[in-house]
Amino acid sequence: MTLKEMKPGQSGKVLSIGESGPLKRRIMDMGITPGVSVKVIKVAPLGDPVEINVRGYELSLRKEEAARIEVQV
Amino acid sequence: MADIIVLVIVGVCLAGSIAYTVRNKKRGGSSCGCGCSGCSGGSCCGKKE
Amino acid sequence: MSYTIALAGNPNCGKTTLFNDLTGSRQRVGNWPGVTVDKKEGTYKKDKEINIMDLPGTYSLSPYSAEEIIARDYIVKEKPDAVIDIVDGTSIERNLYLTLQILETGVPTVIALNMMDEVEARGDKIGAEKLSETFGVPVVPVVARNGKGIQELMEEAVKAAKEKKPPKKLPIFDEKLQGAIDEAKKLLEDAGESDSEWKAVKLLENDENVAGQVTEELKKQIDGIVAKAYGPEADLEAVVADQRYQYIAKVVKNAVKKGTTGHVETKSDKLDKILTNRILALPIFAVIMYLLFACTNSENFLFLGINSPGIWLAGIVESIWERLTDLAAGVLGGASPWVYSLVIDGIMEGLGAILGFIPLVLVLYILISFLEDCGYMARIAFVLDRIFRRFGLSGRSFIPLLQGFGCSVPAVMATRTLESEKDRKITTILAGFMPCGAKLPIFALFVSTLFADSNQTLVTYSLYIFSIVVAIIVSLLLNKFVYKDGASNFIMELPQYRIPTLKSILIHGWEKVKGFAVKAGTVIFVSTILIWFLSGFNFGSFNGTNAAENEDGSVMCEMNDSFMASIGNVIAPVFKPLGFGEWRPAVGVVTGWIAKENVVVTFAQLYDEDVTDEYLEEYFAQYSPEELEELGFEGGEYDAEAAGDIYSESVLFEGGDENALPHMKDDIKTKAAAYAYMVFNLLCMPCFAAVGAMKRELKTWKETGKAVAVQMVTAYVVALLVNVAGGLFL
Repeated sequence: MTLKEMKPGQSGKVLSIGESGPLKRRIMDMGITPGVSVKVIKVAPLGDPVEINVRGYELSLRKEEAARIEVQV
Repeated sequence: MADIIVLVIVGVCLAGSIAYTVRNKKRGGSSCGCGCSGCSGGSCCGKKE
Repeated sequence: MSYTIALAGNPNCGKTTLFNDLTGSRQRVGNWPGVTVDKKEGTYKKDKEINIMDLPGTYSLSPYSAEEIIARDYIVKEKPDAVIDIVDGTSIERNLYLTLQILETGVPTVIALNMMDEVEARGDKIGAEKLSETFGVPVVPVVARNGKGIQELMEEAVKAAKEKKPPKKLPIFDEKLQGAIDEAKKLLEDAGESDSEWKAVKLLENDENVAGQVTEELKKQIDGIVAKAYGPEADLEAVVADQRYQYIAKVVKNAVKKGTTGHVETKSDKLDKILTNRILALPIFAVIMYLLFACTNSENFLFLGINSPGIWLAGIVESIWERLTDLAAGVLGGASPWVYSLVIDGIMEGLGAILGFIPLVLVLYILISFLEDCGYMARIAFVLDRIFRRFGLSGRSFIPLLQGFGCSVPAVMATRTLESEKDRKITTILAGFMPCGAKLPIFALFVSTLFADSNQTLVTYSLYIFSIVVAIIVSLLLNKFVYKDGASNFIMELPQYRIPTLKSILIHGWEKVKGFAVKAGTVIFVSTILIWFLSGFNFGSFNGTNAAENEDGSVMCEMNDSFMASIGNVIAPVFKPLGFGEWRPAVGVVTGWIAKENVVVTFAQLYDEDVTDEYLEEYFAQYSPEELEELGFEGGEYDAEAAGDIYSESVLFEGGDENALPHMKDDIKTKAAAYAYMVFNLLCMPCFAAVGAMKRELKTWKETGKAVAVQMVTAYVVALLVNVAGGLFL
């Protein structure tokens, strides 16, 4: 399953981050690397983007970016 | 006489303000005067690349 | 011997706060990622030999946006004597990721563990000695907000700068990767490249920027090394990032004791639950914005029947200025009429007009800074991203736009924080549409003169909403027809809410006042004299015609015959369809390009005709006796004694206050035209300073010209629509 499909309050472990490129590097630089645990905090009022907690801080990313990230709940 | 004194004062102010702007511009500041030292642009404001 | 010490760290980790502590300067700080977009230099207040360089925040040394490249290039190429790496203790893992990369560059480094007060409040413990042992560099806990630990930090930094000892090599990567790095490093060394270690890692990571600096040949050989070790399809950047984070995880496990395990709900999270609530988020945003203007420009503050803080302050400033004017008028008793006119009608009147509105701008500016500093801005971007994306922008674009409420120049510069070039270009154009602090006085003047009978706060508020709506629509059109490709993203840190320090708020306010004083003393001062000259003289002033014709021998002319009227009359027809095709408003638009405050200055000078008995008689002569009766003249007969009161009560809008310039109504006759005028000034080309900033971001004059053209066309079309539609419905 992907990060996009996770519900607020759910936690999971990141498995992989999709195809390479600047976007992937950005995501990884922000601390989303394979093995890290992420928790979905909430979804923005208009349904997108989502807010997650990773490595002790809050990060927001869009659903289309979250869809690249494979997680195991 | 009063005319001359007033004009001299205004003239000095005018010269001063132009000199200030030119000096600021040369130092790399901007002519906008919008509190540039405090803005996020900081030192680069008005500077040539 | 002088040293340079650079401050580096993640965005929003407190670099600028520390910079202000160290240098005693007053740089702008805020609470969202990307407040500082350029490097700033200062000297250490306790030792002038030490230069401090504040760098824009960056998450990694593989940069994405223009301001991150500035930070990286500075560390790698200009090599400061030492780097203070500021680590936000509340998100230590992500912050240490940059730390590892800084250590790799081989620059002497000192780590400042910032926000230790918040770390303690969470019940966490960070072992500074353990970290120091692991990394082989000094680690100093500090609280930049109150200056705790700063002294010790600087002592360590100066020591590091003097010793110039590069940090030790850390066992970050596994054998396989380190082997590949060593091979690449050897190749680079043989080719005579400097910084071989750092470049080797970057090249393995496929960093385009660094790849461009070495020869094709070398790049191919390095790709060969990667293929040999990891196979041809290898994605080494992921491997490198992964191993760095794994190393950090080990370090943190060793050095940090978490008070609680897992994610705990902080006060900030609770507040966030309300402010970004599914149903309440947008209404709360709308209410906060409304309150902003209610505090700024309302004569019925929160319906309490009292003046808002902004108006109250404005009243004080105005009365002081009035006294000064009277004083000057007294002193000038003996001067000739045109000299008197220069000082009183030109300079004093012109500066006074804008001065009266400055408290409004100040109040608005301080309130906006409060929103910025407390962390709400990033949330607004989060909430609005969906809407912005629909129109082809990122929610992050909203931050530069909101900065545009203060001044367009920093707003344009803040576009650097956007990652995609398309977003940068479009946001640069849109920033010009924002109602900057200098445009607020225009609205305040118009509202108090021509909308005196409406809810004034609502009219001002509507213009702010209007600017955002127009920005969104223009963005959509630009996306459709001009800048077609390029994707945007929204990967953004959401900072913890923090109560801004009083010092920071005072800095904002003081900077604004100082900035305005400079502007009033230079650009606006010169403008007042220029406007006064152009509106009081014509060729007759110099060939003696005026002196001969005027009874008092004055060389000045009637305003309607002046140079300015001649110039204005040439441009005015262009504005006819917009409802203000007279020379005075037309001139206002043009002087506004020098500085937007000039619109108000121009109006104050051009519409400052006293309401004389002759004027009143002439004015009421256009009415029939029935109409005169309706206006309040008894028996429909003109009465010179009652005329003054009737004029100000029924002809001017009800409730017109002292800011009002009654004669504006002669040229701008309807509310639709008045609104169109405000809209035109809101959207058309910003002041020249902002155009200069646009040129710097867009690089070429051609692109800048295009951007200004878009702004002009938008302003004209929208103002036309407002005037026509307003004429139909009002």
